[in-house]
Amino acid sequence: MDIVVCMKWIPDTSEAELAVDSGGKDIKKDNLDYDINDWDRFAIEEAVRIKEKVGGKVTVVSVAPEDAEEMLRESLARGADEAYHLWDDTFEGSDGYAVSRILAQFIKGRPHDLILTGTLAEDDGGAQVGGMLAAMLGLPSSALVSKIVIQDSKVTFNRELEGGLYEAVEMDLPAVLAVATGLNEPRFVSIRAVRKVAGMDIPMLDLGEVGLNEAQVGSQGSRIQVEKVFLPPEGEGAEIIKGSPEEAAARVAEILKEKGGIG
Amino acid sequence: MKQIFVLAEHRKQQLRDTTWEAIAAGRKVAGEFGAELSCILLASNPDGMADQLAKECPKVLVVDDPKFETFNSDSFIKALTPILKDRGPFMLIMGNSNSVIDLAPGLSVALDAALATDCFGLEVQDGKLQALRQIYSYKVNSVVSFKDAERVVVTLRAGSFPFTPVAGQTGAVEKIASPLGAEPLRKRFLNYVEAEKGDVDIASADIIVSLGRGIGDEPEMEAFESLAETMGGVLACSRPIVDKSILPKYHQVGTSGVEVKPKVYLALGISGAFQHIGGIKGSPLIIAINKDPRAPIFRVAQYGIVGDLHQVVPALEAKIKELKK
Ligand SMILES: Cc1cc2nc3c(=O)[nH]c(=O)nc-3n(C[C@H](O)[C@H](O)[C@H](O)COP(=O)(O)OP(=O)(O)OC[C@H]3O[C@@H](n4cnc5c(N)ncnc54)[C@H](O)[C@@H]3O)c2cc1C
Ligand SMILES: Cc1cc2nc3c(=O)[nH]c(=O)nc-3n(C[C@H](O)[C@H](O)[C@H](O)COP(=O)(O)OP(=O)(O)OC[C@H]3O[C@@H](n4cnc5c(N)ncnc54)[C@H](O)[C@@H]3O)c2cc1C
Repeated sequence: MDIVVCMKWIPDTSEAELAVDSGGKDIKKDNLDYDINDWDRFAIEEAVRIKEKVGGKVTVVSVAPEDAEEMLRESLARGADEAYHLWDDTFEGSDGYAVSRILAQFIKGRPHDLILTGTLAEDDGGAQVGGMLAAMLGLPSSALVSKIVIQDSKVTFNRELEGGLYEAVEMDLPAVLAVATGLNEPRFVSIRAVRKVAGMDIPMLDLGEVGLNEAQVGSQGSRIQVEKVFLPPEGEGAEIIKGSPEEAAARVAEILKEKGGIG
Repeated sequence: MKQIFVLAEHRKQQLRDTTWEAIAAGRKVAGEFGAELSCILLASNPDGMADQLAKECPKVLVVDDPKFETFNSDSFIKALTPILKDRGPFMLIMGNSNSVIDLAPGLSVALDAALATDCFGLEVQDGKLQALRQIYSYKVNSVVSFKDAERVVVTLRAGSFPFTPVAGQTGAVEKIASPLGAEPLRKRFLNYVEAEKGDVDIASADIIVSLGRGIGDEPEMEAFESLAETMGGVLACSRPIVDKSILPKYHQVGTSGVEVKPKVYLALGISGAFQHIGGIKGSPLIIAINKDPRAPIFRVAQYGIVGDLHQVVPALEAKIKELKK
C-alpha cells in the first residue's frame, strides 16, 4: 500500500495579536510561530497506522517555504518513510487550486493507492485541496473522514455529517481521503525517533523538477485573488469585566446569581 | 456571468435549510447582476421537493435517479458537470454543509470553475463578484475576487443569508434525463450511523460550563467538574476536547455536535469558531473567559473576562460558594 500524505505548514494565530501588513493583503507573519496544520497530524498518524497494519510505504509531501523542513522531519520521526519538500519562489501566492496542481503533478508520477490530506487548513480554512487533488488525479474522494478500514482494493470509512450523524461509505482504491480531526490519537514522538531520522535526506524540488511552468503556479496559476484583508471591527460584543482574577470572578458570580446561572 | 444556479441539498427526502439560504444568496446576486436564477435538484423521487422549490425559485432543473438518494460527491460531480458546463458563464451557489465540503472542491475542478468556500458575504463591485471569507482561525476577514473566471462556485456559511419566503411563485420545472449511465459508482453509501447517546444530555441543560483547547493538553478536570457542580450545571466542550478524548462526543457543542440553549453558557478557553457558535445561538447569556482579547467568542458573549482561566476558575468557584451561603 503506497500512501501519500499532504501536509501544510501554517502560522499559529490562535493566541497571537494580529496586524495587517503594509500590502493590505495578508497579516504580518514575522512574529508568528509556524506549526503543522492540526488536521494533518491526524492524517500522518493514520497513514502510519495503516502501514503498520497492511504494510507499504508512507510518503509525506508539502508545498511550503524552507523552514517547513522541521515538519517534514517530524513526520519521518512519526513513521513516514520518505518526505519531499516542494518549493520555488514562484509558488508564492498559490491558492488552493494552484497548490493542488503542484501536489497532483508530484503525486502523478509515483505509486499511490491512498492519498491522505486534512479536511481543512486552519489558516485559510479553504477545505479545498483534498477534493481538488482527487479531481485532478481522476480519483474518488471524501472529506471529514474517520474510522478508516482498508480491505483488498477498497476502503470503508465514516464521514461526518451534522448534529453527530455520520454516513458509512465504501470507496474503490486508489482514492483521496481528507481526514477529520479526532480520528485517532497521534503518537508521542520520542527523542530517539527524532535522532533516528536526523540524517535522512529530504529532497527539495523546484518548479522545473516538479514539472510545471510559471503560468501554472503562484498567483498566475491561481483562480482566486485576495483583494484585501482586515480585522473585524472591535467594539461590538461582550462587556469586558476588568480587574484582578478575584475581582472579575466576583463580578461574574454576581451576574450568574442575577441571571439564574447558579442552579 | 449570466446565470445563477443554486444546488438544492437534501437528506432523507427532505430539503435542508442550507438550500433556502443559498436561494436567498442567489436572489441577491441575481438581482445585482440582472441574471436568471435557477435551482438544481438531483434526487430520487424528486417531485415533492421540486414543487417546494418552484414556489421560491423561477426555474427548477430536476434530475430523477435512484443514485441521488444520498448526497454522493461521486454521482453529483458526474451529473452536474455536463449539465452545467454547456450553459455558458455561471455562478453556482451551495451551502457550506458537511456534504458540500465533500463535493465543492472536486466539482469546481470538473467544471473548470474558481472556488471560494465558506463565504459569509457576496458583493458585486463594478460588475465583478467579490466574496467575504474568514482566515487565520476565523480572526481575520478577507475579500477575494475571481479574476475573470467565467464559472464560479461559492459555498456559504450557515446563517449568513437569512431566507424569507416570497411564496406565490410558480417556477418552471424542467426535467433533465439523468446523465449517469449504468456503470457503478466508485463511492458507495452504506448506511447512516447515529450519534452515540451518553449519560448526560447537554441539549436539555440550563447551565453549561464549556471547555475549549485553552484548558491545556493535560487539564486538571477536577477544577472544572467542581465548578460545574457548584453552579448546578453540566460540562460541555468544543471539538478539540473530544478529539483529544478528554470528554466523549456527546459533550461536544456545535454544528457537528449538539445544539444547546441553556440559560447560561460559560465558555472557558474557547475561541469561538463559527462551527462552535452555531451550537450556542439559542443561549440568552454567554460569558467567556479567554486570554485573547480578540477571540471571536467575545463577539457573541454578553460578558467577558480577558485572562487566564486557570486563575479565574478557582476564584469563580469560591465566589459562587460565598454567594450561595
Ligand atoms: C491572506 C490570504 C488569503 C487567502 N485566501 C484564499 C482564498 O480565499 N481562496 C484560496 O483558494 N486561497 C487563498 N489563499 C491562498 C492559500 O494560502 C492557499 O490556497 C493554500 O495553500 C491552499 O490551502 P487551503 O488553506 O485552502 O488548504 P485546505 O484545502 O484547507 O487544506 C486541506 C489539506 O490540504 C493539504 N494542503 C493544503 N495546503 C497544502 C500545502 N501547501 N502543501 C501540502 N498539503 C497542503 C493539507 O493536507 C491540508 O490539511 C489565501 C492566502 C492568503 C495569504
Ligand atoms: C466541518 C467542521 C465541523 C466542526 N464542528 C465543530 C463543532 O461541532 N464544535 C466545535 O467546537 N468545533 C467544531 N469545529 C472546529 C472549529 O472550527 C474549531 O476548530 C474549534 O471550535 C476550536 O476549538 P477551541 O475554541 O476549543 O480551540 P482554539 O480555537 O484553539 O481556541 C482556544 C482558545 O483558548 C484560549 N486560551 C488558551 N489558553 C488559555 C488560558 N490559559 N486561559 C484562557 N484562555 C486561553 C485561546 O486564546 C483561544 O482563543 C468544526 C470544524 C469543521 C471544519
